[in-house]
Amino acid sequence: MPKRHFKIQGEPLLYSCYDDVVFIYIQFIMEDYKFLFKVVLVGNAGVGKTCLVRRFTQGLFPPGQGATIGVDFMIKTVEIDGEKVKLQIWDTAGQERFRSITQSYYRSAHALILVYDISCQPTFDCLPDWLREIEEYASNKVLRILVGNKMDREDREIPMHVGEDFAQRHDMYFLETSAKEAENVEKLFMEIAAELMEQARSKELPRYDTNSPTINGRTTSIGDSNCCSKLS
Amino acid sequence: MISIKLNPQELGDSGGIQKVCEKIVAEEENVTKQLENLLSRQCHLEAKLRSVTKALPNLQIVKSDAQHLSEMIAHTSNLAENVSAKVRKLDDARSRVSECQQRVHDLLDLQLCSEGVKLALQEEDYEKGAAHVHRFLSMDQTLLRQTADDVQQDCTAVTNSFSLLHKAAELLQTEVTARFDEAVRADDLASVERFFKIFPLLGLQDQGLNKFSVFLCSKLQETAQKNLRAALETRSADKRASVLYADTLTLLFEGIARIIEIHQPLIESYYGPGRLLTVANALQEECDRQSKLILNEFRKHRQLDSALAQVADWLRSANSSSSSANTSGATTSQQSRTDPKNLDLLLGELTIMHARAEMYVRFIRRRVQNDVEVGVSAEVTRGLLMDKLETMLRASGLCHSMQALLGNYLQLEHYFMAESVRKAVALDQLEENLQIQQTSSMVDDVFFIVRKCIRRAISSSSLDGVCAVLNNACSLLEADYCSVLRAQLRHGYMSGYLDLTQAYNALQSSIQQGRLQASDSEKARLTFLAYLNNADVSTEYIATLRLSLGDEMAAALPGMTERDRAKLESCLSGLGGVTASLRALVEYGMSQLSASAIKPRVSPWVDAFLNVSHVLTEEEFSSYEANEPFVRNLVANLESLLSSFKSSLTPTNYDTLVSILATEVTHQMEKVIAKSSFNRLGGLVLDKEVRVLVGYLTNATSWSIRDKFARLTQIATVLNLERASEISDYWSNEPGAIAWRLTPAEVRHFMTLRTDFRSEDIKRIKL
Repeated sequence: MPKRHFKIQGEPLLYSCYDDVVFIYIQFIMEDYKFLFKVVLVGNAGVGKTCLVRRFTQGLFPPGQGATIGVDFMIKTVEIDGEKVKLQIWDTAGQERFRSITQSYYRSAHALILVYDISCQPTFDCLPDWLREIEEYASNKVLRILVGNKMDREDREIPMHVGEDFAQRHDMYFLETSAKEAENVEKLFMEIAAELMEQARSKELPRYDTNSPTINGRTTSIGDSNCCSKLS
Repeated sequence: MISIKLNPQELGDSGGIQKVCEKIVAEEENVTKQLENLLSRQCHLEAKLRSVTKALPNLQIVKSDAQHLSEMIAHTSNLAENVSAKVRKLDDARSRVSECQQRVHDLLDLQLCSEGVKLALQEEDYEKGAAHVHRFLSMDQTLLRQTADDVQQDCTAVTNSFSLLHKAAELLQTEVTARFDEAVRADDLASVERFFKIFPLLGLQDQGLNKFSVFLCSKLQETAQKNLRAALETRSADKRASVLYADTLTLLFEGIARIIEIHQPLIESYYGPGRLLTVANALQEECDRQSKLILNEFRKHRQLDSALAQVADWLRSANSSSSSANTSGATTSQQSRTDPKNLDLLLGELTIMHARAEMYVRFIRRRVQNDVEVGVSAEVTRGLLMDKLETMLRASGLCHSMQALLGNYLQLEHYFMAESVRKAVALDQLEENLQIQQTSSMVDDVFFIVRKCIRRAISSSSLDGVCAVLNNACSLLEADYCSVLRAQLRHGYMSGYLDLTQAYNALQSSIQQGRLQASDSEKARLTFLAYLNNADVSTEYIATLRLSLGDEMAAALPGMTERDRAKLESCLSGLGGVTASLRALVEYGMSQLSASAIKPRVSPWVDAFLNVSHVLTEEEFSSYEANEPFVRNLVANLESLLSSFKSSLTPTNYDTLVSILATEVTHQMEKVIAKSSFNRLGGLVLDKEVRVLVGYLTNATSWSIRDKFARLTQIATVLNLERASEISDYWSNEPGAIAWRLTPAEVRHFMTLRTDFRSEDIKRIKL
């Protein structure tokens, strides 16, 4: 039986300050974890999104599997500072014809991992298109991470600093990984979990924020703090 | 056993001696009892001994019998072993004899075959010829040659037969192939099947299957093209015109299903099970070609691409406007956009197409799986074959086009939903009398649309499609719909005549805009309440929607894996996020309502408390008690306030209102009490007043709000004390005592309001 995730879906606390009202949601008492975050992986077909997810969730590197169809869904619970954090990982298909399926997942994402293949220039060249899409569909508060995958490959085409520069220009975290050698994969997801938790925690503290008069109804809405510091 | 130790010191006096003597007597009795006990068992034991002695000789007999038995068994087993060895030898001999017989048969048959083939070829009896060749092919040729050698020292006859038969086989192969091709050209189904059956006899299973598949594909192509032509010629007034291409596609799938249905038994009986995959593979290639043709026509005639281009434009402008303009619900009127209604039929056809393709793929998968399970015994090969099937299906042109089609559907559905909701909001209507209809028309409309879209997605039988539409629906409700509600609630509830500045401002703006109508502010107030109700009713609708969709999906998408279910559940829980937003909206609206309709009114009503002295003489007390002017007025005022809202608000909203009112009243009451002073009788009066007030408010709602009055009742209790020291009866840390909501300092402070309590007494109290 699929259980409901939340006993309470978010208790609104009301702070009124003249005309502006700020609602702050605290995601509350859940089954066995305190935080639930949605992480969505995007990027061209064949850059290794599914392998990254498999490596992290199952510790496997299954080579030669077919292209993902639509959207795949995995869950892993990790522990950060003694708190259980549930990561819902959405592994999207890279091919163009699945775009309207994958786009529908952007908005509710807490973190978006944009993946390219360091041994394949075209996957890097497409990054601006992906960013445009993210701008268009994702919440502007979403945590964005640029990942150069397949760092184990000898035939590198994109030097690390090029990826780093790109990430810096676009206000993203940056990391190079290898799903094959299990390099930086754990680190990638754990740091995302930690960062998201940090942001969620800072939101729990009541504060007046006259600059954001919109009512934000999202549960665990996170990340309007500027998150342009770097991972690692 | 006598266990008494004589202690010389104990024997020192007569008393001691006496004691020891008593002990000895007791011991003696004890020993006597034990002896009697032992003696009574004597005869029992003797009887047993006797029976044992009697049994002894019998044992001897048993032993000798057992030995005898064991010898017998050993003997028998020996015998059995001897017999079975002989049987084995016999069996060996027999099998050799039968092998020999087989060989002789083969040799005889060989002769027969070579003659029969000659005759059959002459008579063009291919079945018979093929049967002979088949018989020949089943023989072990080298062994036969050897046998012939051994028997006659001469194998020329056999070799001759061999070469003859080989030649005949080759001849038959070319002949049958030619005849088959001819039959295909002549479209002679009977001959096609006739020669199809001969291929396996000649050991040409693969060739036969391939040729047959090609034939089937050509038949398929023929009917598919005929169907497509018929579809293109169908008049637009036809009943099925709106789903014409879906129908054509369905016909294609049904055609393939029929082919498999008809020919599978044929293949299975002549080629054996486990061969369907080869045929399915070939048919799939043809299906890919034909479905592509149909879809191309579909795209062209339904102007799918121009619709998609329009939607893409719309999406771009919607996104740019939402990022530049603020979230005030009134969107700028866009230039000519497709009426979402026009897309309705197209969307329906798209989902039907997708559903049919899904069904077809499921059919193929099931058939091949059954076939493989019957025909292939090895688990590993079976798995490999199924993997091959999956890869074939995944890579098939049909699946790719269907994925693209689903993508197109989702784009159009997104537009349909968003635009329809926008229209519903634009056409929003409000019943003048909120007692009849507490919400405005858009709530029903919006949820009707959302449900319709999600249901349509379900009818596509694609889990990913359903999830995507659900996600889009959640975005739409949470962003667009909620912001429409919020924009209205932000105007606030104009209480008009009570708040003079507000009334004045409203009047001013009405005059400036040249539309001074008496009903304007009334209408704004009604709209505000209706939108408050909209938000509340929406949460209910979402709950029902979620429940009913969950069931419908389970029914429409059978065979979901655990992970699929979790995926769906996660997307469904997005609706929970919408509920949270709506709740926040209700809360926001309520705070607006409270700020303009509750707080300003309650405050003067409660302030009237200050006009009444609570330092009373007996006489004043009895006259006051008879009238209770303050609390009666207050209750009457609250009653009229609440009754003005009761029928205009949904029950939940009304209960929230009462709860807010209760909080406000207690808050104000505390303030005015703190400003007054009391004597014993005044305290008594206050206590009664508080009771009346609390009684009234708790009865006004179905919620339990008694807790909100805890502080106020406790204040009344403190002010209603007989003596200052009496407080210690109430203030206690023991379990079950009153849970005080007042701090000790507050208790002391309220006690000082009693004119008859001396401050030294209050100070002396321990809290």
